[in-house]
Amino acid sequence: MIEEMAKDRNNVESRVKEAYEKAQALQDKLNAVITFVDPEEQLKELPEDGAFYGVPIVLKDNVNTKGIRTTAGSKILSNYVPVYDAEIVTKLKKAGAVCIAKASMDELAMGGTNLTCFTGPAYNPWDTRRMTGGSSGGSAALVASGVVPMAIGSDTGDSVRKPASFCGIVGVKPTYGRISRYGIIQYASSLDHVGYFTRSIEDAAATLKVLAGRDERDMTSSYNEVPDYSALLNDDIKGKKIAVIGNVIKNISNQETVKMFNDLMDQLRAKGAIVDVYDFDNDMMRAILPAYFIIANCEATSNDSNLDGIRFGVREDGEDMEAIMTNSRTKGFGPLIRRRFVIGSYGLFEANQERIFRKAQKVRRVVVDAMNECFKEYDAIVAPASGNIAPFINKDEDQDQLSNQLSDENLIAENYMAMGNFSGYPSMTVPMGFEEGCPIGINITTPAWCESDMFNIGLAIENITGYKDMKVEVK
Amino acid sequence: MEEKKDREYFKTLAHHLMFDLSDEEADSIVHEFGTLESQMALLDAVNTEGVEEMIYPFEAATTFLREDVVSNVITQDEAMSNVKKKLEGHFVLPKVVK
Repeated sequence: MIEEMAKDRNNVESRVKEAYEKAQALQDKLNAVITFVDPEEQLKELPEDGAFYGVPIVLKDNVNTKGIRTTAGSKILSNYVPVYDAEIVTKLKKAGAVCIAKASMDELAMGGTNLTCFTGPAYNPWDTRRMTGGSSGGSAALVASGVVPMAIGSDTGDSVRKPASFCGIVGVKPTYGRISRYGIIQYASSLDHVGYFTRSIEDAAATLKVLAGRDERDMTSSYNEVPDYSALLNDDIKGKKIAVIGNVIKNISNQETVKMFNDLMDQLRAKGAIVDVYDFDNDMMRAILPAYFIIANCEATSNDSNLDGIRFGVREDGEDMEAIMTNSRTKGFGPLIRRRFVIGSYGLFEANQERIFRKAQKVRRVVVDAMNECFKEYDAIVAPASGNIAPFINKDEDQDQLSNQLSDENLIAENYMAMGNFSGYPSMTVPMGFEEGCPIGINITTPAWCESDMFNIGLAIENITGYKDMKVEVK
Repeated sequence: MEEKKDREYFKTLAHHLMFDLSDEEADSIVHEFGTLESQMALLDAVNTEGVEEMIYPFEAATTFLREDVVSNVITQDEAMSNVKKKLEGHFVLPKVVK
């Protein structure tokens, strides 16, 4: 779809403006945009050619854009105008993409609901009473509703892959280091990945080719060559060995989802794949969410200490520098963020570091070692990306608290995808089916740098389900 | 004796992080802290004897020495463009010494 659009040189202005106007028209219903970006100037500066020539796109609002407000969904950055572009913005501009909006996100990307953005929740286009999932919910909503064919997100725990499931689209988190993070407002550096949403595997492959590559300004970016992912697309999965995470399936109470997933596995078998149930150690699976929670909060507490209102961001008055910082941070951060920083700081105390932070980092290695063991035998690890469709937004409840529930269903079935962030291995969500008219996805993870294998399994699934270029008319 | 993890404890901790918590927010952390302790028990159930911490996904270091060439420069005006109070290239803050 992106390729055809980029080849169509005659309708560039009209399609970009149409996307811009559609995003505005849907704002009342979706609240998916923080800042609209007028495409007029960008259209005048289009390159000669490019894989995204005249293709309208959306950026999550933690992607720095020169001269365009970038808030990361937080009040403390609600007046911040970057003086530089993130590397991926430079790459997308060179490819001819036109950014029409900066999308809503959970504050500082620290959430899985998209209910904590300072501009209010984003709403799910399939059913606006439901959440989009987060933290890249605004981006997901704008792709699912057909406004743009591609939107950038970021993924620290499952922040692209969970909203992709709830919004019925493809959500990709490639290998750690595959895409430069220069200019992305950080959450937890050892887990943060740039990711993105599309409505087809074909577009997912085309997008990664544009975004990937070494960047001298991001020391964690990789020198590995960037393959032509589109040319490598092939849905022949005969002989591919796929491991289904048994622990996840056993802990999903919604049997409709389990049946949908198992039926899909049967269809993959019919196409020649070897699909087995693979059980990881259950204690280890239970420890993924707590280890993630601790590592992410500890890193965030340190990373976000630069948000003080002095050099940039919203500055509140105070009688001295300390008071200015304290007032700026108290009024600038939402209550969830402050709670998470307190927990993170507690884990970093010298007296607690070994017992809490270091322990979580050791558990992280145990998880990754177990994944490597599985990959000795299998080409991919799969499971439903969520046990259920997007939950209803309940204004009376602090829904982020749900992530702290200690049931195996929550710990394992709903939060296992952080495995992909622990390991840095490529992982993506593809639509798998519908319940009550709302979509639900399947997650696929492959070994490091094996994005092509991941896309090929995704393509096989897309060809089975027929869920390609699916978009919903928002009611 | 271990320090009591009550409302005041977390308010003090928040002050070290340079923000305030309302009573309600501090109480919420007291509650959440109970969950954290339960989560620690889940971590303890995993045997990590002899396991090294995993800090980053990949061990491959990309540090190297490069030529001392000026690159990616921003102007002083750009650097100060997001500062609320500034004067002649300086951040303006209240006087510390009265």
